[in-house]
Amino acid sequence: MNDDVPVSSRRRLRHTAVAVLGAVSLLALAACGSADPTPPATSSPAAFKPVAQQQGSEITVWADATRVPGVQAYQKAHPNVKIKIVTYSGDANGANDLQAKVQLFDRTGSGWPDVAFSANVNDGTWASQGKTPYAAPVNRDIIPKTTLDGFSDGALDPCVFNGNTYCLRNDLAQNVLWYNKSLMDKFGYKVPTTWEEYQALGEKVAEEHPGYLVGTAGDAWTPEVYFWASQCTASTTTGARKVTVNLQDPKCTRMAKLLDTLIAKGSVSKDTVFSAGFIKNQASKVLMLPGPSWFGQVLFNSTFKIPKGQIAAASPLKFEGDAKNYTGNVGGGLWFVSSHSKNLKAAADLVTWMTTSDAYQGTAGTYPAYKKAAVTWLANQKKTGYFAEDVSPVFKESAELIWPGWSATQYSQEAIYSSTVVPALNSGKTLTDTLDTWQTAITNKAKSLGYTVN
Amino acid sequence: MRRKRRPSSLAARLAWLIVMGLSVLFFCVPVVWLLLAPTKTDGQIVRDNPFSFGSLGAVADAWHHLYAFQDGAIITWLLNSALYTFGALAITLVTSIPAGYALALTRFIGRRMLLTITMLVMLMPTAAMVLPLYLGMNAVHLDGTIWSVILPFSFFPFGVYLTYIYFSSNVPSDLLAAARIDGCSEWQVFRLIAMPLAKPVIALVGFFNFVGNWNNFFLPFVMLPDSSQYPAQVGLNNLLAASPLFNTSSGAGNQIMRPELALATLVTIVPVLIVFLFSQRALVSGMLAGATKE
Amino acid sequence: MTTHLATERSGRRGGRSARNPVGRAGYVFVSGYVLLLLAFGVLPTCYAVWLALSNSRNQLVGLGNFTRTFTDYRFGPAFLHIGLYLVVWLASLMILVVLLSLMLHGRMRRTSTTLRFLFYLPGALAGVASVLLFLILLDPAASPVGWLLKSFGWNTLAQVNAPGHLPVLFTVIAFWTGAGGWIVVMYGALNSIPDEILEAARIDGASTLQIALRIQIPMITKWIAYMLILAFAAGTQLFVEPQLVSLASWGMIPDSWSPNQLSYQYAFQAGDFNGAAALSVDLLILGLACAALVVFRTGLFDRDEG
Repeated sequence: MNDDVPVSSRRRLRHTAVAVLGAVSLLALAACGSADPTPPATSSPAAFKPVAQQQGSEITVWADATRVPGVQAYQKAHPNVKIKIVTYSGDANGANDLQAKVQLFDRTGSGWPDVAFSANVNDGTWASQGKTPYAAPVNRDIIPKTTLDGFSDGALDPCVFNGNTYCLRNDLAQNVLWYNKSLMDKFGYKVPTTWEEYQALGEKVAEEHPGYLVGTAGDAWTPEVYFWASQCTASTTTGARKVTVNLQDPKCTRMAKLLDTLIAKGSVSKDTVFSAGFIKNQASKVLMLPGPSWFGQVLFNSTFKIPKGQIAAASPLKFEGDAKNYTGNVGGGLWFVSSHSKNLKAAADLVTWMTTSDAYQGTAGTYPAYKKAAVTWLANQKKTGYFAEDVSPVFKESAELIWPGWSATQYSQEAIYSSTVVPALNSGKTLTDTLDTWQTAITNKAKSLGYTVN
Repeated sequence: MRRKRRPSSLAARLAWLIVMGLSVLFFCVPVVWLLLAPTKTDGQIVRDNPFSFGSLGAVADAWHHLYAFQDGAIITWLLNSALYTFGALAITLVTSIPAGYALALTRFIGRRMLLTITMLVMLMPTAAMVLPLYLGMNAVHLDGTIWSVILPFSFFPFGVYLTYIYFSSNVPSDLLAAARIDGCSEWQVFRLIAMPLAKPVIALVGFFNFVGNWNNFFLPFVMLPDSSQYPAQVGLNNLLAASPLFNTSSGAGNQIMRPELALATLVTIVPVLIVFLFSQRALVSGMLAGATKE
Repeated sequence: MTTHLATERSGRRGGRSARNPVGRAGYVFVSGYVLLLLAFGVLPTCYAVWLALSNSRNQLVGLGNFTRTFTDYRFGPAFLHIGLYLVVWLASLMILVVLLSLMLHGRMRRTSTTLRFLFYLPGALAGVASVLLFLILLDPAASPVGWLLKSFGWNTLAQVNAPGHLPVLFTVIAFWTGAGGWIVVMYGALNSIPDEILEAARIDGASTLQIALRIQIPMITKWIAYMLILAFAAGTQLFVEPQLVSLASWGMIPDSWSPNQLSYQYAFQAGDFNGAAALSVDLLILGLACAALVVFRTGLFDRDEG
């Protein structure tokens, strides 16, 4: 039927092949530039020059659905400021929508939002980089120093690069030791104050009340909850785009061993607290759970549906040999002012209001990074009467205990942990066995984004 | 028209039943679960039997929560989606059906090249096209308008190929030759002979174009700067991101949980199912008309 | 069948000019499409190829971006993953879609319409909408198919998402959402085979199997070829399924599992559009190689019945 086809097509194929080969070899020779992507130019402190300002011009604000009502409240309180509100994902759950869009805007030279909220605490790393960084250094005559000083100690760390502050922190997610007071009383246990006591209690629980849990190691934020608190050098930046990763440090291995012991005993789960299986079968058996401040309402109240008056928070644990207890931090949103904004004044005012005002932050869902707002917030939390004990002293204390040796990086520690370590744990390996693989994964990822790793 | 073919033996009939039964289970069990999900509360979805029925009251609650999200944004998303997809559908049908016809049943210089280029472009990963498309739209100052979504949506090489294969294997060229000898112009041949036979392929092309665009997330996400322009998929993404399930920083008191997400999913697929049912009808009746062609 | 072909042949020898007029009409019919093709297909593709061959300072770098991405630590695993996935995906798609279409064809109209609708249902659930579904579906504790997952010995979400299961898992998801549409296409193709041919074969004593293998499948080769090309291309460009499952499992799937995801990481995380374009061109070449093979083997581009 089509016997002529193969012959002609074979000939054509040969011609095409010759042409392609020729083109490829030409191309291989034709290189006249280096294929290396432009090394990201680090912004020098003197580099920031605002664009020509237009007083009273409209500002565009990007925020997630949770933050939009706050922006609307600001709009209501300031009717003469022209604001265009755009709802977007807010970079929640590891999305990088803001970065993707800013990359495109950088290409066309227009479109940047004047103000942007991001739920990803790592977003400052890219927003402060590049030829013209997206984020404006707000400490350079945009937001007064007195305002910046009102934030909790270390709260602005994920925003500070080369001595400049590129964003304001919306909320903190400082880790505390959550526990079920009713269960602890019922079993006759004392709340631990050190990791050693925690481990001993975990082993005891496994024997006396099998099935009850003192922690989870399958969450994406396990590194921030356990390893950060252990002062593990998994993510220590030592300069612009320089990071130290050393998971064989004793401060890392001690936490890995602790978790391995409790996983083997069965009192630390390999599951994640938000999985349906966990909610269904294990939620009511959580005796203790080191975790961020938002666990209280978001996890125990809304998700686990633990009744009122059972859950309480204790101070972060310390290792016996250490002088002081430290804790980690799981996320926390950021507000950026665009360096391309034509109305920096309005943008700065909005960002200041969103992060510091009692009117908004006092009733927000998460712990405010601004100290004064946090006081109001804690008073409101007390009014809900959900917790068995007032969480205020513990929350305030732990907000200042975040170990400064763990830095925000352009890559997400959470993504690396859940895609590398969690599958290994579930295939029966121990954390200690996995440290090398984990280290390699962090190192590779960091290098691929232009970091120098040592 | 179609006679029921009798399987030769009981074993064959049994095998048919088993394969079909398993397939129906495979394709439908998750859908049934999804249909039941909005009738339950979030806790029931996780804790109860997956196939239990909650109550209709729960559906109403879920709808209230969903509707309250951004003051009824879900309706805006659906209307936007409808605007983009139907706009694109019209342009797609007007351009791809004649093109597929011409590629199959007329001869012109460059026909093979056009087929090859179409194939080549179709194989290009869409992720790579985003930046060029965005820059292109920006260059002609269409970025941010609805055209930046509708026009790329209308480019549908898949449909051109479907039409091409359909015409080249189903419509005998003798039929067209006869019409030409009778003095029909090319336009008349297309309109009077080809079009009536093309009903099934129009249904197919229209359907796949509609579904592809309705479910497209990335292009509108990149092109549209304003949340009031978002179509359903981009809106759903925001809805997911606002749910405490996926956004730990959303705080307590957010009403978007599993039942609301399930309901939102169901609401956004209803249009697709309606279009499917319509195009199925055209497909079947059209195929029957096609079967009597000789 | 033979008579059918005989008339085709005589027709070809006879009035070629009347059947296939070389004229302006063809150009008019394709003009609208060609405009769209140039604007939204050819130009962006050319720009993407240029990106792959240049650097961010707009200098030509030859194959630099290709060698650079080739040595990336994620390149090998991503292409290995996609290779495994393609094997499972293409085999299951080709066999099951054709089989199910054949089995549906010739049944009572209402039964077959209903079944096609049921098979198609998940197709409407593509994209973001299905995240919630997988969130529950893949967690044995709450899943409607929990008993099945548990029977494989998978008791937690993490066990279901173990790295070794992923190619099969993504195949199941892709098949679940994609097969229904192809079944509709194949059913349509089967429907266009004249009844007389099937009837004649049946009178000659051909069994259902023989009819399927000797008549029906050869007569829908073009459609199968088309499906193969698109399924191959879609398979190499796998993006949505890993993203969805990753979202539904709080990140248990690496963000660069497939080459297309890797390309996305290059573009939007590292801001390296040139590297991203190089990866896309790799995928394009793979797709073209498969297409060329299929087109030449099946005569997809030949106007007359092959």
